Amino acid sequence: MKRNQFKYPLITSFVIILLCSTTSFAQEIDVNNYKMFFNFTTEKQADNSRLLEVSFNAKNKKDRKDIMPVYNAEIKFFNILNEEKVLIGSSNTSKEGVAQLILPESHNYLTDANGNINLKAQFESTDALVNKTAEINVKNLHLELNLVEIDSVKTVLVSAFTTNKLGEKIVAEDVEINFYVQGMLSKMLIEEGYISNGEYEFNFPTDIPGDINGNLLVHSMIVDHDEYWNVTQNKNVNWGVFHTHFVKEKNTLWSAVAPLWMYTVLTIMLIGVWANYVYTIIHLFKIKKEGKKL
Amino acid sequence: MDITKRKRELVKEFSPMLEKTSLLSILWIAALIAIIIVGLYAFYLQFINGHKVTGMRDNVVWGIYIINFIFFVGISYSGAFITGILHFFKTQWKHSIARIIKIITVLSLIVGPIFILLCIGRLDRLHYLFIYPRIQSPITWDIIAIMTDLIGCFIYLYLTFIPDFAILRDTTDLKVPKWQKKIYKILAIGYQDTTSQRLRLHKITQIMSVMIIAMAIVAYTVLAWIFSLTLQPGWNSTIFAPYFIIAGLYSGVGVIIISMYIIRKAYKLEKYIKKIHFIGAGIILLVISLLFGYFTFSEYFSKWFSHKTNDQELLDTLFSRYFWEFILANYVGVLVPIIILFFKKLRTIKSITFAAVIAVLGLWLNRYLIVIPTLETPYIPIQDTRPEFIFYTATWIEYALSFAGIAAFLLLFTLIMKFVPIIPMSGIIDQERDEEKGNKNKTEEVQ
Repeated sequence: MKRNQFKYPLITSFVIILLCSTTSFAQEIDVNNYKMFFNFTTEKQADNSRLLEVSFNAKNKKDRKDIMPVYNAEIKFFNILNEEKVLIGSSNTSKEGVAQLILPESHNYLTDANGNINLKAQFESTDALVNKTAEINVKNLHLELNLVEIDSVKTVLVSAFTTNKLGEKIVAEDVEINFYVQGMLSKMLIEEGYISNGEYEFNFPTDIPGDINGNLLVHSMIVDHDEYWNVTQNKNVNWGVFHTHFVKEKNTLWSAVAPLWMYTVLTIMLIGVWANYVYTIIHLFKIKKEGKKL
Repeated sequence: MDITKRKRELVKEFSPMLEKTSLLSILWIAALIAIIIVGLYAFYLQFINGHKVTGMRDNVVWGIYIINFIFFVGISYSGAFITGILHFFKTQWKHSIARIIKIITVLSLIVGPIFILLCIGRLDRLHYLFIYPRIQSPITWDIIAIMTDLIGCFIYLYLTFIPDFAILRDTTDLKVPKWQKKIYKILAIGYQDTTSQRLRLHKITQIMSVMIIAMAIVAYTVLAWIFSLTLQPGWNSTIFAPYFIIAGLYSGVGVIIISMYIIRKAYKLEKYIKKIHFIGAGIILLVISLLFGYFTFSEYFSKWFSHKTNDQELLDTLFSRYFWEFILANYVGVLVPIIILFFKKLRTIKSITFAAVIAVLGLWLNRYLIVIPTLETPYIPIQDTRPEFIFYTATWIEYALSFAGIAAFLLLFTLIMKFVPIIPMSGIIDQERDEEKGNKNKTEEVQ
C-alpha cells in the first residue's frame, strides 16, 4: 500500500525543510561580535557604609537586545593616591554580571588635599576577554536626615557636608536631592530640591497614610552626582495619617442586621404559609360549627 | 350505596387492628422501648460528660447525628412531596398508601430534628437560637423551615384523619377504651360527612397538599444550603440543593416501599396494598435512582476535573480510606436498584423491596461520605495532629442514640396504627362514591 505522505511530494518536501530550520543548530558565541561594557559606580548607603559596584556586560554589536552578563569574573578594587595603589578587596560577578564590595563606615581611605577618594575597579585579562578598568573620584559626603516637628509642623531637614584633612566641615552647595516615602513595591517621590548652604528643609505632606500604625520610612537620595555619586539616607517616623473612612454601615451578610431583601422574602414566605394555616383552621372551626347545628 | 352500612363494614374489617394487641406486637413494642431506654442512658452519659463520649472532635464536629438528621428530614420531605402529588392529582390508588406516607412524613420530621439537638455541645444554650437569631444564617432558616413544615405536616395529616375519626366516633360496636372514644370525639370536631362539610374539607386539604409540596422543596433546599453555602471542599456546590431533593426522594420512596411491605405482611392487607402499588413505587424509585446517579456522577466528576487541591485531597480520601463505603454508596446503592427495577421480569414485590433496602442503606452511606470525609480534610490543618482528633469513628453512644431514634420512629408508627386504621376508610368510601357517581352518569348518557 502506498503511504499517504508520498502522494504529495511537494508538501512533504516543504515540511522536511521546515523541520530542518537553521536555528535548530547549536551556535557558538564569538566574542568578537560583542562589545564589553564595564561600568563602575559607588553609593554611600544609609548606614554610612560604601558600596562599590561594577556592572560587567557584553553587548552584541549587531543586535542591541542581545546583552550577556559576564559571569564569575574577578573584579579587584583599589584606592589610589598618586603612586600609591592599595587593594581594597575583590569580588566575582554574579549571574547578572554584577560585582559588589561593601566598605564599612570605619574604612580609612586615601584622600587628596580636597578630600577626593580615587577608586579603581579592574578586571584582568583572560584567554577570552581583554582587561578592563574604570576609575571614579568621589568625595565622602556626610548626609544627615532629621525629621522633626517645628511648631507642630512636621519638617524634614537635611544637612550635607564634607570634611577636609583638618576635619573642618565644608558645606555642600547646589546639590540636587530627592525625597521619597517607601511604599509596598517602590518608593514614592514626595519632594525634589537643591541643597543650598549645606541644608535643605521642607514641610512633610500631611496626606500620606503609612502602614496601619502610621509608620513611614523616609528616604533622602542624591543620585549620579559628579562629586558625591550616589548618597542615601533614611529614617523611620510615625507621621502617617491613617484616614479611617466612616462609611455608614449597610445591611449586609456580615453586619448585625441582615439585608432588607432577606427580611422581605422571609416575611412574604412565612406570611403566605401561615396565612394558609390560619385559613385552614378557620375552615375547621366552620366545620365544627356546622356539626354542632346538626 | 348505603354509606352508613358501608362504614360499619369497614370498621368491622379494620377494628381488629385497633382492638386487639397480639403477643408479638407486645414483644415488638417492648423491644422498641428497651432500645429507647438504652438510648436515653446514652444521652444521659453524653449530657453529663459532654461530647468527649462521642467520636466528634476538633475536625469532625458533625458525626452520625447530623447524617441521621439529614436522612430522616429527607424522608419526611420526600413523603410530603409524594403525598402532596398523589392528593393534588387525585391519583386513583392513593388511598391504600397515602396514610402510610403521611405518617412517615410527620414522624420522621419529629425524630430527625432530635438528632440536631444531640449535635449541640451546650444544650443549655439552645434558647439563644431564639433569643439572638441571625437571619443571615442558613441554620436559622432551617429552624424556621423545619418548624413551619412540621406544623404544616401535622395539619395536613390531621385533615386527612378527620373523616376517619368521625367514623370511629359514630361506631358503637368498636371495642376500644372510653378515653380513646373520647379522643375520637374531640378530634372529629363534629364532622358529620355532610356535603358542605365534605366539600370544605376537600378544599382545604387540596390547598394544603400544594403548600406541602412547596414547603418540602424550600425546606430541603435550605438544609442543602447549610452545607453548600460554606466553602468546604465537597460541600461548596451549586447543584447541592437539587441533589439533596433527589436524594431525599430516593430514600423517602425506599422507606415507603419497605413500610408498605412490612405493613402488608403484618396486617395482611394484600387486598388494599397490591402489587400495582409496589410496581408504581418501584418505577418512581427507578426514575429517581437514575436522577440520583446522574447528580452523584456530576458532583464528583466536576470535582475531579477541576483538580483543585482540596477537592483532589477529598477525592483521594474517598478513594483510599473510604473506598468500600464509596463503592457501596455510589455504585451498589445506585446500580443494584436500577438493574432490579429496569427489567420487567425482576419487578416482584420482594425484589422491589430488596431494591428499596439497598437504596436506603446506600443513601445513608452517601450522606456519611458527604459529611465525614469533608470534615476530615479541612483547608487548614489543626495544630495537634493526633489521629483521633482528625479521623472520626462513631462510639457506642452515638450508635445507641441512632438506634433509639429509629426505635422511636417505629414505636410511634405502631402506636398510631393502634389508634387509627392504616388504610383510610373515608378514602375507600370516597372512591366508591365517585365510582358510583361515574356509573350513574354513564347510565344517564346511554339512556
